Amino acid sequence: MAQFLQQVVSGLASGGIYASLAVAIVLIYRSTRVINFAQGEMGMFMTFVALWLIDGGWPYWAAFFATLAMAFVGGVLLERIVIRPIESAPPVTVVIVTVGLLIALNGAAFWIWGGETRSFPSAFSTRPIRIGGVAFSIQDFGIIGVSLVAVFLLYLFFRFTKAGLALRAAALNPEASRLVGVRVGWMLALGWGFASVLGALSGMMVAPLVFLDPNMMRGVLLYALAAAILGGLDSPLGAVIGGLALGVGLNLISTYVDFVGDTLKLPVAFAVILGVLLVRPAGLLGRTTLRRA
Amino acid sequence: MNVRRLLFACALALVFPLGVQASTAADPGVTSTSILIGGTVPLSGEAASGGVTAKGAAAYFAYVNAKGGVFKRKINYRYVDDAYDPAKTIQATRELVQQDHVFAIFNSLGTTQNIAIRPFLNSVGVPQLFVASGWGGWAREYKRYPGTIGFIPTYTGEGIIYGRYIKKKLPKAKIGVLYQDDEYGRELVAALKKGLGSKARQIVSQKSYDPTSTDVSQQVIALKASGANVLMNFAFGKFAILTFVHVKKLGWKPQIFVNAVAAATSVMKLASASGQTQNAISIGFFKDPADPRFDRDKGMKLYKSIMRKYGGGGQPGRAAVCSRGGAPAWCSGYYLAGMASAYAMTAALKKAGKNLTRKSLMRAVTHLDIRDNPFVLPKVRIKTSPTDRYPIEQAQLQRWKGTRWRAFGKLAPAPRR
Amino acid sequence: MTRHRAFGVGLQVSAFVAAVAVLALLPHWLSDFRASEVSYVGIYFVAILGLNILTGYTGQISLGHGAFMAIGGYTTAILVGHHAVRDLWTIPLAGLVAGAAGLLFGLPALRLSGLYLALATFAIAVALPPVLKKFDHFTGGSQGIQLFGDPDYTGKGFENVHVAGQTLTFNNWLYYLAWTIAVVLFALAWALLGGRLGRTFRAIRDSEVAATSSGVNLPLYKTLAFGVSAFYAGVAGSLFAIASTYVNPETFPIVLSLYLLIGAVVAGLGSLWGVAAGALFIQYLPSLAGHVSKSAGAPSVAYGVLLILVVLVLPFGAGGLLQRIGRPLTNSIFRKS
Repeated sequence: MAQFLQQVVSGLASGGIYASLAVAIVLIYRSTRVINFAQGEMGMFMTFVALWLIDGGWPYWAAFFATLAMAFVGGVLLERIVIRPIESAPPVTVVIVTVGLLIALNGAAFWIWGGETRSFPSAFSTRPIRIGGVAFSIQDFGIIGVSLVAVFLLYLFFRFTKAGLALRAAALNPEASRLVGVRVGWMLALGWGFASVLGALSGMMVAPLVFLDPNMMRGVLLYALAAAILGGLDSPLGAVIGGLALGVGLNLISTYVDFVGDTLKLPVAFAVILGVLLVRPAGLLGRTTLRRA
Repeated sequence: MNVRRLLFACALALVFPLGVQASTAADPGVTSTSILIGGTVPLSGEAASGGVTAKGAAAYFAYVNAKGGVFKRKINYRYVDDAYDPAKTIQATRELVQQDHVFAIFNSLGTTQNIAIRPFLNSVGVPQLFVASGWGGWAREYKRYPGTIGFIPTYTGEGIIYGRYIKKKLPKAKIGVLYQDDEYGRELVAALKKGLGSKARQIVSQKSYDPTSTDVSQQVIALKASGANVLMNFAFGKFAILTFVHVKKLGWKPQIFVNAVAAATSVMKLASASGQTQNAISIGFFKDPADPRFDRDKGMKLYKSIMRKYGGGGQPGRAAVCSRGGAPAWCSGYYLAGMASAYAMTAALKKAGKNLTRKSLMRAVTHLDIRDNPFVLPKVRIKTSPTDRYPIEQAQLQRWKGTRWRAFGKLAPAPRR
Repeated sequence: MTRHRAFGVGLQVSAFVAAVAVLALLPHWLSDFRASEVSYVGIYFVAILGLNILTGYTGQISLGHGAFMAIGGYTTAILVGHHAVRDLWTIPLAGLVAGAAGLLFGLPALRLSGLYLALATFAIAVALPPVLKKFDHFTGGSQGIQLFGDPDYTGKGFENVHVAGQTLTFNNWLYYLAWTIAVVLFALAWALLGGRLGRTFRAIRDSEVAATSSGVNLPLYKTLAFGVSAFYAGVAGSLFAIASTYVNPETFPIVLSLYLLIGAVVAGLGSLWGVAAGALFIQYLPSLAGHVSKSAGAPSVAYGVLLILVVLVLPFGAGGLLQRIGRPLTNSIFRKS
């Protein structure tokens, strides 16, 4: 029983990691209808930048916010320079560009900082707390908390601000939005900027838990995609719930179903994706959309 | 396995020496002023951190060349990226052999990667030397593949050392094992069982992990729940670190054994910050640049000076104390591992004589007796014979205390089976 | 058939004949090893051709074609390595097995579109390697299956191959094997897609609703496209296993699926003639990038940046470029009065 509880708690911690990146993926999808395969690498790269600042003497919080600011600018620039020119090309082209970004950023991190594993300071305490035979740290739940706060802030933004409304409109129907005066191009760039911030946030939350190296987000990206689909690609809250469900579910299956073990964890996660896509593509919390010709 | 294939394998085994003999004085890759050797290492992708062994080796060859080379021949070492993908390893190795006409393949990294190219290299008579992998098959299967030889102690030897130690010193052990689910991990587990002998049933739990995972917490929790009081941390890189971290988090205090590939001082120090590393046991056979016990060692000083001058790293004049922050990249033991192999390669080339052919090289490689490799632990010998394809068969047990490894006991043999 | 169209067809046929002639003679000008390198171009050519039929023509995005290649490759490896089947016979078999898998996948995929379909196919690409690793009794697990030296493997251990009265070096054999199949499959695709089938596919891509209201049996054609496309990928995978002489789960990694899609985009979706450009791109760009620098990571940066530049400059790929050049040319020949 103790093991069961511990696996659940540990699953929540892993799920928090998936959730934090999943929220960024959902945000980009929601505001630009693009799946950004480079989301994880962008977050990893910015985390390295943060570490560079910290190693250079900056205090943690100064480096933290500076990194988020740089991430925002970087995201906006990326959209303007690399995504905008191919707006009219088939959607596949954009996917390829994000793949190119993934490859380039991963290589750039190796090139600039090398491949060794490094530690990254944590905003929350990593000291283990043991209650009733179950161990966890504040960092584990801090990451879930931060993701939920991000989801809440996004909700407020989309629901109650003009910019949020404009962003939603630009994503849903660019043509009509332009007609009413929404500056669609800048809305898309804003979406990328915000998602980039969330990605950097995810990186800086995840690094203390799994240690920083250029391949840190590779595995996370896959599970984050699964979480985002499970929760619904246009629901940030769904991303968090999906991430947590995935984390706990996979942990329990790996523990109690011997055949699956760890080797088949990834296939199980993706079988879940396939199942979701076939049965209810909108995911747990997404909205089902009617297809118009 | 049918008879046809077995017969063919035997035929293959004959082809290598014939292939080598067929190439007479003018072996490809050798001129009067140069020797061209090549290899594949991961420079991109998930295992890119391992590719640095090639840099360590390249630096050493540059040093040798600066001193005149071997019999006035400069060693040109071409290493190519295979992104750890065996299909790419095959293509890249074929290019090295058929297009660049290398004299020998040296220090290619990876177990499945080298398994993939082994039959090809043997059939065309190209020596496959000092394979950067601890798999036991290089030495075990030398009769089928006589052109292939490994370097570091095998995972078999390592596992047996741990097994025997536990059998002797920890008779009440209840053993849990965390291992990577592939050839390397499975060989360690099998060897552990061999070393334990009759006590093998004291292994109470075995959990594997896949390198695509993000964490090993699930396995560590399960291992603790099994009641184990000894934990074999047969994990690689970041997963080994995470294992230490989770053990500490759970408040678990088993006797941990960590495998050599994950036991570099730089890695252990990282793990020590938040992990349960005190008293962990491992084996060592190379000198570790980040280990202060070698700061004044002649071989280590040579290593550092070579890396500074030819390895493109570190500011000259600034004493490289790897234990301090801001240490150069080559404080990682992987660079030194490459250099140790390069030393052995150079020694073999020298021993092969002025009239350098593949045949003379293979003869030298199977008659090594190097006692002065400055980069391996003191008293470790590099010895081979035509029937003994295990160049390094000794290892030193060491225990992690404070912030470094401390050797204990005598140099142990790393058994073959 | 109008004169304009006849000219177009004639032009394509003569281009085809010229290309075949060049391909047949190319090994004479290439070193032995380069011939085997170009054979990989042929292998990717077949795979991208298949992917283009699916993504370029019917608009169904697949991020999982590496998995179909893996199915084909493993079919060949298992049959040759474990069941003593002559390797050449396994090539069409591998295609059929992969094609069947494609059909099986195509059916449920009917419910998905656009990015959702892309993600579903990505799921297969991600899930397959661990599954291959797990069922090791069948697939050889992480140790894989070695074909080198196998008696049923043509050329056994890189020996010369005797075919049609000629003696070829092993590398040349690989070249001709890959490119003969590539040429045949290209002609097949051209014939199939040039006519009604191609128009039907393109109609589906442009508007499913319009196609249905014109009487197109959507499920049939969409699933068919999946099956055909997977067949091509399976053949490519089989050739890949033969050329590499070794398979294991890592030889068909997730990035392979991404590279194939890159190749299709660089080729130009919906363009058959651009496929060669796509295949050349994914075969040669990594090594070219590697020449730029040997430092860890730098080749990837070069690759990624170059890829982005190519896509930005030519969003419609090589095929788009060909069209941009070709159309004014034919228009100027047939000036409308």
